[in-house]
Amino acid sequence: MSSLTGGHSPNGIIMEISSILTIARQELTVAIRNKWTGIFAFVFGSLVLAISYFGSVTAAEIGFQGFNRTTASLLSLVLYLIPLVALMMGTQSFMSSEGGDDMLFAQPVLRSEVLLGKLLGLFAALVTATFVGFGLGGLVIATQTDANDFVGYPIFVGLSLFLSLIFLSLSMLVAISCGRRTSAYGAALLIWFFFVIFYDLLVLGGSLLFKERTANYFIFASLFGNPVDIVRVAGLLSLKGEEVFGAAGAALLKFLGGEWRAIAALIFSLIFWAATPTLISFRLLRKQDI
Amino acid sequence: MKFRCLNLLFLVLLAALSARAEVLTVGPEEQFKTVGEAVRFAAAGDTIRVQTGIYLENLIIEKTLTIEGVGMPTIQGTGKGSVIEIRAANCTIRGLGIETSGGNLVEEDAGILLMSSGNTIEDNRLSDILFGIYLYQSADNKIRRNRINGRTELESGERGGGLHLWNSPRNLLEDNIVEAARDGMYIQSSSGNVFRGNRIYNLRYGLHFMNSDDNSFEDNVFFDNIAGAAIMYSQRIALRRNAFVHNRGFSSFGILFQDCRNCITEENLILDNAVGIFMEAAKDSVFRRNTIAENDVAMQIFASSDQNTFTQNNFINNISPLQLIGKGSSTTWQDASGGNYWGDYEGYDLDADGLGDVPHRIHNIFEYLEGNFPRLRIYLNSPAAQSIVVAERSFPILKGSNEFDRLPLMSPVKIGTGFVPPMGSGGAKWMLIAVSAAMLGFAALSFKRGLKR
Repeated sequence: MSSLTGGHSPNGIIMEISSILTIARQELTVAIRNKWTGIFAFVFGSLVLAISYFGSVTAAEIGFQGFNRTTASLLSLVLYLIPLVALMMGTQSFMSSEGGDDMLFAQPVLRSEVLLGKLLGLFAALVTATFVGFGLGGLVIATQTDANDFVGYPIFVGLSLFLSLIFLSLSMLVAISCGRRTSAYGAALLIWFFFVIFYDLLVLGGSLLFKERTANYFIFASLFGNPVDIVRVAGLLSLKGEEVFGAAGAALLKFLGGEWRAIAALIFSLIFWAATPTLISFRLLRKQDI
Repeated sequence: MKFRCLNLLFLVLLAALSARAEVLTVGPEEQFKTVGEAVRFAAAGDTIRVQTGIYLENLIIEKTLTIEGVGMPTIQGTGKGSVIEIRAANCTIRGLGIETSGGNLVEEDAGILLMSSGNTIEDNRLSDILFGIYLYQSADNKIRRNRINGRTELESGERGGGLHLWNSPRNLLEDNIVEAARDGMYIQSSSGNVFRGNRIYNLRYGLHFMNSDDNSFEDNVFFDNIAGAAIMYSQRIALRRNAFVHNRGFSSFGILFQDCRNCITEENLILDNAVGIFMEAAKDSVFRRNTIAENDVAMQIFASSDQNTFTQNNFINNISPLQLIGKGSSTTWQDASGGNYWGDYEGYDLDADGLGDVPHRIHNIFEYLEGNFPRLRIYLNSPAAQSIVVAERSFPILKGSNEFDRLPLMSPVKIGTGFVPPMGSGGAKWMLIAVSAAMLGFAALSFKRGLKR
């Protein structure tokens, strides 16, 4: 918290919103001009379009346009792609601060302001790119499916945004703790692999060590240790409802103490995952000699 | 001898007189001001015609009568007991609004309580009642085109059944609409009934069914209930052309079979349920030409189920096709002419006979494990689960499921399911369109700003 207010920084000034926003705006401009945002928007957009269109062309067979296939594919797309792109974009941008941002750090702004500004700018770029896809997909879903509850879709978009913010924040931590560009990219890839695939396999294996009841609690608790899991579970809950997990879903809700507490727990854990790497980065950078 | 002849003649004359049924009219301006007066005055076989109006009374009918409404008059009960209680056989109740029964579940207060046989109950509207039409040891009735609306202010468990049969064989229940009751159709120890074209929605169990053999269900719709149909401890049940749609919730299902034998399920639409078909200790049953689509789990089958056959069904877009609880099943997934259509079949058909050349494994390793470790379902859609499935397919080390469809169909079976689910309210649709347009607008602005020099 202290770094947020800058209380212990040499010049002892409080973080200024205006300078953060200026840096963010500049970062967004850079991200859009260097074409990465456009390319990602195109790739993500065409994938979402394809998923939402081909996910809902079964009407001829059953006389009903469902949402199941779209849900599963959208979820997979978001869980694989967004962490990867956020990590890559983030690492690239934060590593360039070695040289390119020397001028920024020379300005009368706090280092944490620079970081927060860049983070917000990158986040805005990713929001821009994913909104292209989600917007097009939403139009297709609204016009093509017969489902009666669309509230889940905006919530799911919000969860995806959280996921990109979390992995941008992790990429910032990686860039600041790794000295060299190559090691930073390597670490970013490792982080992607760990959270997207390896973590769940570890937990699954680990749960075999426990008895039935304990294994349940172990698995439920471990969900919060992985932002990808949090977004996946929350995404399925919002798109399909809690019954999609069957008995396990009922047990999870009971474990978390009811529906509202479960929602609160999911939101707080997402905020925790976005804030913690950022705060650690502030601390690390403050001690670094640029 | 002579005396006896005279006596007989007198009896015949009396019978002829009483057979000439009279029509008694009830209304504010008519001879009888209340239906009860007319019922007391009428002889067996008479018709009572009720004019438009509201009549505050409960009726007990102890002789064969026809009571018909003109312009839907309302019989409003006193709020105690059943509104109309029929104790004589062969009565007809037609075109009445029936309201305000008692609220006692133990006394089984109903809109219409039938305690006799051979009655016809048609075109009535029942509302604000605990039970709808209650058949109590009552056979050979025709219950048609009635509309039953239960008490929405009560929890579903505190309401009564909509069409409630107890010990009542050989009835025909046709084209009724039941909403907001406890169970839409509750059938206990009642055999040989036919249920056709009823629409049941917005309640607990669409069909709740126990110890009742030889019943037949055709063209019914079970929509948006906590559970579609629960069929228990019965034999020789036929389900044809019904729709079980959008029955969702924890441990919800489209159709549940518990301890059933020799049932036939044909040409039904089982759509968008938490679990499509649930079977525990169901035996020797046949599932043919059904469409099972968009369910979270298409089938949940306990190993206690034995010798069931699935052929010519369409399995489309279910999140999980099969959860098998226990060691394995003796379910048959194909016969000589072919198996089922599986939307996720990945094989090919080189000899173009319409049957896949590669057997279709019905559930993958993860879904197989899920059957016995329900907690694994938390990993639904996770990259880890997907990687395990891919790994197992390439290096089959783990012992997976033995459920194969050896002759999977290459294209879906054409089944004329006429039911169009009444879903998709316009408001939600426009909300999503607005949100999507806003997202696109934001992206466009952002791009424009970034590229501006």
